[in-house]
Order: sequence, then structure tokens, then C-alpha cells
Amino acid sequence: MKPLRDISLLFKREFIHALRNPTWLVVGLTTPLLYLALYTPLLQKLAGGPGFPTSNVLDVFLPGMLAYLAFMNGTGEGYATIFNLKDGQIERFRVTPASRVALLVSPILADIVWMFIFIIILIAVAVPFGFHAHIAGLLVSLILLALLVMVMGAFSVAIALINREISSFAAIVSGVSLPVMLLSGVLLPLSMAPSWMRVVAHLNPLYYVVEANRVLAAGNITNSTVGLAFLVTVGLTIVTFWWATRIYRKAVA
Amino acid sequence: MSIVSAKMLTKVYAGKIRAVDNLDLEIEAGQIFGFLGPNGAGKTTTLRMLATLIPIDSGEATVAGQDVRRQPAKVRRHIGYVGQFGGADPLATGREDLILQGRLNGMSASDVKKRTEELIDVLDLREFANRKGSTYSGGQRRRLEVALGIMHRPEVLFLDEPTTGLDPQNRANLWVQIRKLRDTGTTIFLTTHYLEEADALSDELAIMDHGKIVAQGTSRELKQQIAGDSVLFSFKNNGEILDKAIQLFKQQPYVREITKEGEQVRLYVKDGAIALPELLRLLDKENIAVKTMALSEPTLDDVFLRKTGRSLRDTGANSKGNGESK
Repeated sequence: MKPLRDISLLFKREFIHALRNPTWLVVGLTTPLLYLALYTPLLQKLAGGPGFPTSNVLDVFLPGMLAYLAFMNGTGEGYATIFNLKDGQIERFRVTPASRVALLVSPILADIVWMFIFIIILIAVAVPFGFHAHIAGLLVSLILLALLVMVMGAFSVAIALINREISSFAAIVSGVSLPVMLLSGVLLPLSMAPSWMRVVAHLNPLYYVVEANRVLAAGNITNSTVGLAFLVTVGLTIVTFWWATRIYRKAVA
Repeated sequence: MSIVSAKMLTKVYAGKIRAVDNLDLEIEAGQIFGFLGPNGAGKTTTLRMLATLIPIDSGEATVAGQDVRRQPAKVRRHIGYVGQFGGADPLATGREDLILQGRLNGMSASDVKKRTEELIDVLDLREFANRKGSTYSGGQRRRLEVALGIMHRPEVLFLDEPTTGLDPQNRANLWVQIRKLRDTGTTIFLTTHYLEEADALSDELAIMDHGKIVAQGTSRELKQQIAGDSVLFSFKNNGEILDKAIQLFKQQPYVREITKEGEQVRLYVKDGAIALPELLRLLDKENIAVKTMALSEPTLDDVFLRKTGRSLRDTGANSKGNGESK
């Protein structure tokens, strides 16, 4: 299959690129590590209380953090798009017979694989500190997080193609990221939030993934929260990819 | 049989700006076809439409026998394209970049390997082929980009401003490479806003302005249309003197055309060597003091000037010098 061959060619290129520009990798990994090291200690006294039912706050915090990691991974996608627009690489590939889907999806797939590697490292770091890892739940969670990267990646690429300038793109991304993060329950579970916040959170795709990821981390695969999160992310994947493909065909002029 | 053909090709931006306006074009295979014009003339837009990068608003185009509007995927198999911004990957080595390009174009692994080595020799990339693109000089990067454009042996190669930003030595070097490509049968369609480049490189060229082709032919044919030499005057005590001189020139039968260029006036005459002394005598009689004077054989700029009333050297879209034809 031509698209699959193109995806594997471009995926390999993108994956290796990350190694050649290790700053992104280092920052990508140290951010969640810093949260684990410098934020979870603040939560210690809440263990066993509201929002943190188990004896270890990592059981609640780490799954939420992983969802946030996926979110940030996806939203960062547009930066590469803008660089590649400027240096002519997008144009260069568009003139080849390479599959259009492959051009769009390959960098996102490479990002997903890097995220998986980060997640394994983070869990390996968290287990000695008392995090309870459930393998089956974790595997389902990886699929859910991959979908979130796809959603945010397609969204981010579309915004980048519309804006074309790093400065305005960065402003939009950080402007969107902050409220999305605060309203997702990553830092503190929203079960502690006033009801209006919980209502608003339901408009936030990250919220569903954070909630589902916590359920999955507890080893609870068949929970309806998980089903709902899959429904939301699969739906959004379809919508954002449809949108991004349209913009890609039209805007890359 | 034309390898590139366009009929009534049109691109309209923002609903009203006719970037390319009912363009007709026929390009014979195996030549270097140059597209000359100021920035914003519509050269790049034309090239991008033909290279399947942007949709054609109206009109028809075929490249290598394939319909650009209906079969863009088929067109892509026959063309190479090197854009203004090139597209070399700063994080990949030149060799890796060539291999990827070949593979994406559907070449077999063994063919890719062979072709990569071939191009490394032809375009003289050996010295830096294993270094990352980010370490290349402008000339090195451009050579790699041309190699990327021809990796899959396209029938038609589109080059958008191939030598912009290169120093004279690298420019001359690239010209040699482009001619070599033509000699191996590739049709090359290039845009440029350098007169010298269009003149030296093109087998045939079209001059474009405001979305339309204003002149087309070989460089020699175009210059012959001017049929004569150009004389450029400026005068002391400008102002009224200039107008007075123009009135005087207009009465001379051997002056074919007069163009005011700011504070200077350009005349086209049949034979400069005969006309010049005559003109000087005339001016002297009227007590008009000449400040500067230059006689030149026609250049492509003269062709452009004659067709558009503006000089290509007055970069871009400014419209100094009101064309005034006799």
C-alpha cells in the first residue's frame, strides 16, 4: 500500500529528527518530571482525602499528568509545520506523489511514539515512589492518549497553516492551553471543584481523557468514563482530521 | 508537441486581484524556458499552478501530457519542483534527503542508491553529502535542492528563482548545471527577475507583467523588436528643459520612441552611431546643456520598458516613468 509505505518513510524521518534536535526531547521529558518532583509533594497531605482516595497521590496525579503530556505533545505539532512551511519542505513534499494523508499524519505518529517512550520512563520513575501500575489499564490508556495527540496534533497543524507565523501561533496555543489545563483537573481533581467548574469542564476534551486515565490507572477498563472518553476523542479525531486536511489542501499555497 | 501548455490560465486572489490573467503558454520539450518579470508579476503563481501546488481558478493546463486540474497526481510523477525556499531538510544529511525524495517518488531502493551517487557527482555534493543540511552554505543548499528536484528524473523541472541570494560564482556554477540538465533532455521552466539570467540561460523566454505575458520569444527575437539602440539623456537645469528636449526629439524622424524615466529621457533610435551626433548638434543649437548621456544596444529591460512603460530595474511594482510613445 502506497500510503503505508509513505507513512513509514516519513515516520522514520520525523522520529530521527527528534533525536537530532534533542532540546525538544529534553524539555518534553523534564516538564512532567518537574511536576512529579516539585508538585506532587504539595499534594502529600491530601492522600486518602477528597479527590485522592488511595494512599499515594501519584495514583491520581500521574495519570492526569500523562493526559496533559499527550495534550501538549499534540499542540506542539504546529511549530514544526510553520518551520517546514518557511523552509519549503511542505511544498517540496506536496509536489511528490506522496500520499497527502501520510504527509499530515506521519509527524503526529512520530510524536506519539516519542510520547510512549516518555510515559514508560515516567512510570518507571514513579513506581519506586509508590505508584500502582496496572498493565492492562495502562495499555488501554496509551491508545486513548494516542487519540488525544491525534486530535490536538491535527488541530494544531490547522491553526499553524492558517496563521503561518510563529508568534501568533504561539500566542494562540498558550492562550488555549492554560484554560484547558486548569479546567481539566490535571493539577487537582475537579471532584473538589464548585459545580459550575465541573459543568464547564464537560466542554473540555482534556477533562474526559484525564478522568478516564485515572479510572484506567486504577485497572478499571470497562468503566463508562473510559467509554465516554473514547467516544469524545474518536469523534474529535474525525472532525479535526477532516478540518486539517481541508485546510492543508487549501491553505498550503 | 508542447510539454507544458496552458490556455486562459487564471488565478484570482481575494476575489479581485488577477494574479494570473488568461495566460496562454506553449513550451516545447527539451529547452530552458525563462519567465522574466518583476516581483508580483504572477510568475511564481503560474509556476505553482502548473506544479499542482495551488488550484487553477479557470482555464486549462497540461504538463507532460497530463491534465493539471483533473489529474494532479499523474502530473506529479512527471515533474520536479524547486521552490524559492528550496525545501532542503536542515536536520537530514544531503544523502538522506535524496534517498527520501527518491523513495517518496516511488523509486526502488537500488535505483535510489544509484541515482543518489550519480547526483552527488553531477551536482558536486560529495564534499558535504554526509553533513546535516543546516551546515550548508547558500550555494551548497541550492545545489542539493536542485538535486532533490531531479532525483526521480522528471521530464519537466520547475525552478522558482533558482539563483536568488547566490553570489555571482555560485550563480554561474548553477547556470552550468541547469544547461547540463537541459542537454540530457529535461525541459526546464524557470522564473527569474534577473535580466542577465533570463538572457543568458533561456532558450526561449516570456516576459510577464500584471498577470499577463507581454512578450515571448527567444532573447534575440525580443531584442530585435526594439530594432535599434537606446540613448539615455539627462540635462542640466532640469524641469522645463526636459520637456523642451522631448518636444525637440519628437520632431526627429529617426527617433522611434521616447520614454520619460524620472529626470531622464530614453530614446529608441534605429542606429545609435548615426543618431547620436545628430541629436547632440540639435541640442547644442537649442542651447540645451547635456548632463549625462549613454548609448546602449537593446537589452531585455528595453523590451520590458517598451511593453510596460516601466523599467525592470526599478525593482517591483513602482511605476516611475510614464510611457510616452511616439
